Amino acid sequence: MTNIRLIARLDIKGPNLIKGIQLEGLRVMGDPQTHAQKYYAQGADELVYMDIVASLYGRNSLHDIVRRTAENIFIPLTVGGGLRSVEDVRQILRAGADKVAINTAAVQRPALITEIATVFGSQCMVLSIEAKRQAPGRWEAYTENGRERSGLDVIEWAQRGAALGAGELLVTSVDMEGTRKGFDCELVRAVSEAVTIPVIASGGMGKAEHLVDVVKQGHADAVAMADILHYGRAQIGNIKQRAEIAGVAVRHHTAS
Amino acid sequence: MRPDAYYGLPTTVVYCKQCVISNQKPNSAVEFQHTIATEKTTINFDHREICDACNFTERKRNSIDWPDREKQLRDLCDKHRKKDGTYDCIVPGSGGKDSFYASHILKTKYGMHPLTVTWAPHIYTEWGWKNFQSWIHAGHDNYLMTPNGRVHRLLTRLATELLFHPFQAFMIGQKSLAPKMALLFDIPLVFYGENEAEYGNPIGDGDTALRDPAYSTSEKRSKIFLGGVSTVDLTSQFGVDPSDIQPYLPADPDRVAEKNIEVHYLGYYLKWHPQACYYYAVEHGGFEASPERTPGTYSKYNSIDDRIDDLHYFTTGVKFGIGRATYDAAQEIRSGDITRAEGVALVRRFDHEFPDRFADELYKYLSLTESEFPVASKMFEKSVMDQEYFHLLTNRFRSPHLWMHINGGWQLRHPLRREG
Repeated sequence: MTNIRLIARLDIKGPNLIKGIQLEGLRVMGDPQTHAQKYYAQGADELVYMDIVASLYGRNSLHDIVRRTAENIFIPLTVGGGLRSVEDVRQILRAGADKVAINTAAVQRPALITEIATVFGSQCMVLSIEAKRQAPGRWEAYTENGRERSGLDVIEWAQRGAALGAGELLVTSVDMEGTRKGFDCELVRAVSEAVTIPVIASGGMGKAEHLVDVVKQGHADAVAMADILHYGRAQIGNIKQRAEIAGVAVRHHTAS
Repeated sequence: MRPDAYYGLPTTVVYCKQCVISNQKPNSAVEFQHTIATEKTTINFDHREICDACNFTERKRNSIDWPDREKQLRDLCDKHRKKDGTYDCIVPGSGGKDSFYASHILKTKYGMHPLTVTWAPHIYTEWGWKNFQSWIHAGHDNYLMTPNGRVHRLLTRLATELLFHPFQAFMIGQKSLAPKMALLFDIPLVFYGENEAEYGNPIGDGDTALRDPAYSTSEKRSKIFLGGVSTVDLTSQFGVDPSDIQPYLPADPDRVAEKNIEVHYLGYYLKWHPQACYYYAVEHGGFEASPERTPGTYSKYNSIDDRIDDLHYFTTGVKFGIGRATYDAAQEIRSGDITRAEGVALVRRFDHEFPDRFADELYKYLSLTESEFPVASKMFEKSVMDQEYFHLLTNRFRSPHLWMHINGGWQLRHPLRREG
């Protein structure tokens, strides 16, 4: 069994780290850089920076913070939010991102997935999907931070995204996000079974057991967490220990 | 020549320097006196071009002694709290985030025994109904008052036709219900949520905990208008039975005085923050945001239980140039949840978007067929509402000082700009 990656997810708006519930009621949590540094020190395997309202506000403004992060933090950094073109991607990679997460722009023009994968490689092209449950076993993909319906079925969209060249899927459950009630394991499992590329589960982690559930039941390859870290409910090292006890293999970092 | 300003609105449009509200925002009105001739009073702006809602926020933040206010609340609750197994206060609400917070905190933190009362939306959204149920199941007794659907449709159609105010029948019923339930059950204490002064009503209104009884009481039935039509005419010309008008009538002020019914704003005692109410309601009762943003705005947690709300904020946009994104963003800027620059971007993007999602269902709701409304249907030039007729009405109510017709579409003459 390969190691499960623990990813600290930081949703960012303007200069602030923010957090909502079901992507709504966005609360200012503090300085993203400070939090990122802390999660790195705690042993996070990767970071995700998401300017989740970039499309909503029609901007993308993470370059400075990405640049500063890349100077001090040496784990893979995925950046998403408001990236609309190969040129946007080039800029953010140049600033220090290792991968990009694309949602709205890919929904509007799926060919962008192929373009990014062709120019920079599939390993750098993460397709971000905001999934909202519509009926048992059926989810719709949303854009703009869980505000706009796309009409796309999540499973079909995941398969199509993979076929177009996405190297990884970041699947956020709008229903569970910020609720601390656990992941939508059914969703993650349905997506994992439909594609061969790695799937990052996001949305709902309230305790270490939720990670174990989404790995064992949902077959997630990586787990993104936000609320549990931002509110200091648990530390990454501790979550890793508990995951191992439950039989989930995780990576141990040598001191850096 | 200066274009006319309808509804008594200020002829020059000014936007608040701190939030995004304009000086065209009307103050709360006594809805059952509302006719097409009613001149609006509007939000006050100070000499710095800052609105009174922002000035009120400043007081909330800096000068109000909140610990003292909370002590006043404890004293009030101590005075009214019942220990004999009866209710001691009424909390009107929908089970949205704000009423959830109000009733739940009164019950769990202040040891009160609230009876919650609800005036039904015109047409529930699925998520609104679910949240209403979650509220009850979080530990509240509730009376749901649902008015006669036929009469409610007629009044809503009249309010749309004559005042372009499709939400009016709801507002009237909602404001009247709580004091009447207080009388009915002999529970002399009523708690509303935040004071309307937080949204720009005269700032002095925020200095008192008590709600002005004029909103919910009236002496003479003959002075009451519903949908812009007098109750006398509703019976004689529109075929409405007087008993069906009952639910809309405000409480009798003599009885309210005799029973010492006190209507308080909980927001006078507790510092209100809508976003915090959302967190509270999620945490304590499983409240859920709506599954999509509401048309005309970016928000998913605010006023989401009535399908007709979509039209309500569209009509305020037409009449006053203020759509739903403006109301939402102004509040969130004041609360410190978003910056003004973000608010401006959101307003420019979403305000005045036409609410397509429930449009057909709403037109049907507003259509008065001959078989359902044998008398009233004859009183309209077009008793069936459809898109074409709704757009015709829309243009009839656009105030010329706000809107101009350019390149085949309507545009604001003075849209909110990025600077200033």
